[in-house]
Amino acid sequence: MRFVLRRAGFFLLTLWAAVTLNFFLPRMMPGNPAIAMMAKFHGRLTGQSLIALETIFGVNTHESLLAQYWHYLCDIATGNFGTSLFFFPSPVSQVVRSALFWTLGLVGLTTIVAFLLGTGVGIVAAWRRGGLLDGIAPPVLVITSAIPYFWIGMMFIMIFGLKLRWLPWSGGTDITAVPGWNPAYIGNVLEHAILPGMALLITTIGTWTLTMRNNMVTILAEDYVRMARAKGLPARRIMLDYAARNAILPNLTGFAMSLGFVVGGAILIEYVFNYPGVGYMLLQAVQNEDYPLMQALFLLITVAVLVAILLADIATAIFDPRTRTAR
Amino acid sequence: MRRIIITAAAAALAIAIAACGSSSSPSATSKSGPSGTLVISNAQGTQWNRSFNPFNPAVLGTGVTMGQVYEPLVFINTLQNAKTSPWLATAWAWTDNNKVLTFTIRNGVKFTDGTSMTAADVAFTFNMLKKFPGLDINSVWSVLQSVTQSGNQVVFTFKAPSVPYFYYVGDQIPIVPEHIWSTIANPVTYADSNPIGTGAFMVQSCTPQNITYVANPHYWQPGLPKVAKVLYPAFTSNDPANTYLATGQAQWGSQFIPNIETVYTSKSPDNHYWFPPIANVSLIPNLTVPGLNDVAVRQAMAYAIDRNKVSQVGEYGQQPPANQNAIATPTFSGWMNRQAAAQYNYTYNPAKAVQILTAAGYTKGSDGIFAKGGQRLSFSVINVGGYSDWVAAMSVIQQDLKAVGIQITPQNLALNAFTARLYAGSYQLAYYAQTGGPTPYYEFRQWLYSANSAPIGKNASSNWERYSNPATDALLNQYATTTDSATQHQMVNQLQQVVLKDVPFIPMTQQVTWYQYNTGSFTGWVTPGNPYALPAAYSYPDVGQLLLHLAPK
Repeated sequence: MRFVLRRAGFFLLTLWAAVTLNFFLPRMMPGNPAIAMMAKFHGRLTGQSLIALETIFGVNTHESLLAQYWHYLCDIATGNFGTSLFFFPSPVSQVVRSALFWTLGLVGLTTIVAFLLGTGVGIVAAWRRGGLLDGIAPPVLVITSAIPYFWIGMMFIMIFGLKLRWLPWSGGTDITAVPGWNPAYIGNVLEHAILPGMALLITTIGTWTLTMRNNMVTILAEDYVRMARAKGLPARRIMLDYAARNAILPNLTGFAMSLGFVVGGAILIEYVFNYPGVGYMLLQAVQNEDYPLMQALFLLITVAVLVAILLADIATAIFDPRTRTAR
Repeated sequence: MRRIIITAAAAALAIAIAACGSSSSPSATSKSGPSGTLVISNAQGTQWNRSFNPFNPAVLGTGVTMGQVYEPLVFINTLQNAKTSPWLATAWAWTDNNKVLTFTIRNGVKFTDGTSMTAADVAFTFNMLKKFPGLDINSVWSVLQSVTQSGNQVVFTFKAPSVPYFYYVGDQIPIVPEHIWSTIANPVTYADSNPIGTGAFMVQSCTPQNITYVANPHYWQPGLPKVAKVLYPAFTSNDPANTYLATGQAQWGSQFIPNIETVYTSKSPDNHYWFPPIANVSLIPNLTVPGLNDVAVRQAMAYAIDRNKVSQVGEYGQQPPANQNAIATPTFSGWMNRQAAAQYNYTYNPAKAVQILTAAGYTKGSDGIFAKGGQRLSFSVINVGGYSDWVAAMSVIQQDLKAVGIQITPQNLALNAFTARLYAGSYQLAYYAQTGGPTPYYEFRQWLYSANSAPIGKNASSNWERYSNPATDALLNQYATTTDSATQHQMVNQLQQVVLKDVPFIPMTQQVTWYQYNTGSFTGWVTPGNPYALPAAYSYPDVGQLLLHLAPK
């Protein structure tokens, strides 16, 4: 109990620090949103637009920094993230919600699948050390995990999208698809997610497999595994219930953190595949000095990662009794 | 496993066929009534946000609302020397020494909710701009005194003769329905997700990925539009947009495509492109910086740089070289002051550049850079790092200037940092372009009018080089008082003299309108032989004109 309380207290402290940094950092950037918008549409807006834009965006409000900071804290507590400047006049919560759904779907699912698949392959490869799988999987996966995923993405587009025309390569759905909870739309979404998902999967699976395999190999040398073999337990039982269960613990924290970072999106995938998501939205917010949107997205990422770490700590404490007594 | 691949492939194939098929739908439909689906490919770099507010600069710049959903009073064609055609207004006239402008509003026009559009709506629209300055992005109320309705006419009274504002008032302001907009508490933050306008198209649906427009069945021009549906997908980057164009999934493109012959034109005999020039991408000297405030130095720069090479190396030749008269050719060739151009003869002439510097008292130092009185001709130039073509152009400029003894050091900045410094005047040299307008006057005014400038440290709206000359101001103001074409030409000749003599900025290449089009399933495109509108999907309200002219084959 004390363990959980201490962890929760630490969590709150880090959260406050992150929130404060989140407020001050964007304001140290040069320019203001009005100029950013003029720049974005250079060639299509007249010079007079600058004044109108500054009025719209409320630049030069002459509020002191501390007053703004206090308002910002109050707004965060009540869940009011303001109006986006780049996607003016949509509220930030609406803008983020629309993109978040896609990111959680694509990146979230891919991360989970990569973890499960990678861990599974790692377990089997370690158990049958020196076998065929162990000979092929690690070197291949080292290579694939080093390849940048946007390059793989572009290869996929070229081969499967353009040359073979098997799969769609642009967008989250067909441009004419009507959103709705029906099989046609869901099928469309899944179909469009295959190529970006595969690109992400191929490049992230390597890490899980290699770390799992290495952990397993270390565990398999332990005395209790030898004891279990000596007792005559079935091989699968030793592999899963004894070795894997202990080997997976270090990976848990890493998995929790990558789940936390899922909400940061995969910007290069979104860029290459024209896929909707939070990553590219964050880039646009930064480029266009859209403070409300930027702050909301940074906050989202920070909170997600902090919560994930907290949960990972608790999970480790549950699965591994040794950590509960640690200071 | 194989079954999954086959089903997936079949599904993908079916979808691909459907997508391709929908773009060239068979005209099995009756001859009366619109048909066909047009797909636009314009990489505006964002997902759609369900907002069609035609006074929101962010929305306007993407070409989603003004022209096809909302319409202005007249149409002014930049490519045909500001030829003006009636749109929601049938007639117009300047009176009282060009201080009063009267429009006669067309009868029989309905908004898409069935109510009639009348002169009352026009007067309301303009008075709403006065009430909410955040909507007045063209600053028309800086010159307007009053806008009143009388019968089916609307009378605009200006504080002083303002002939050039005809463009902003007549062509750039959308007419919105009074009975809807008068109920909005704050139109500046109004999203206008279901726009009610007079235009040829209505918004059927808008997802973050795509906007679907359908033909307005009660459009006031009988038989138009001929296209039934227009799809405007969102592209976050150029590459998917370019691929859509190359594969024929989209028919109308508006982006810069490097290597356009290999990537686009060679894919189909129906793929064409045209890039009409409209303004000047220029090297901008900060006229308050010592060294750059010497006209001899600027003149030397204008002779030292090989504009042809800048165009070839930086822009693949897609942006033609500019001239020191700052007249975009061939679009505005009729305005060119050939006599003055020949007199100054700003062609690539490095020997002359050196001669000018020497005659002005500059001597070459041991490092090969000219200097006078301790002032070395060594400057920094800010550039937008994200525009790779401009970065390439700048390296040519840098080499050419070095050859005549002027040193410049490029600083490639992120767009925001660049524009912040440009507007505030915290730079020595910069590389950028103006918006321009339907005649060269607009670009000259943006560059030279002192009211568009600001002291260093404050934001200048368009006169970033901080040029100020009362005689030029008087000239620009005088132009605004006349509608006589001969007088206007004479004044623009004088403005060109200013640019040739004072060299307040140095045009390098001409800013073009990006335009690709596929003639396979649609006719009626803007072509060099028939330039009836600015052809980019982001030009407003020209996008409306294009959609009215297009017809499925």
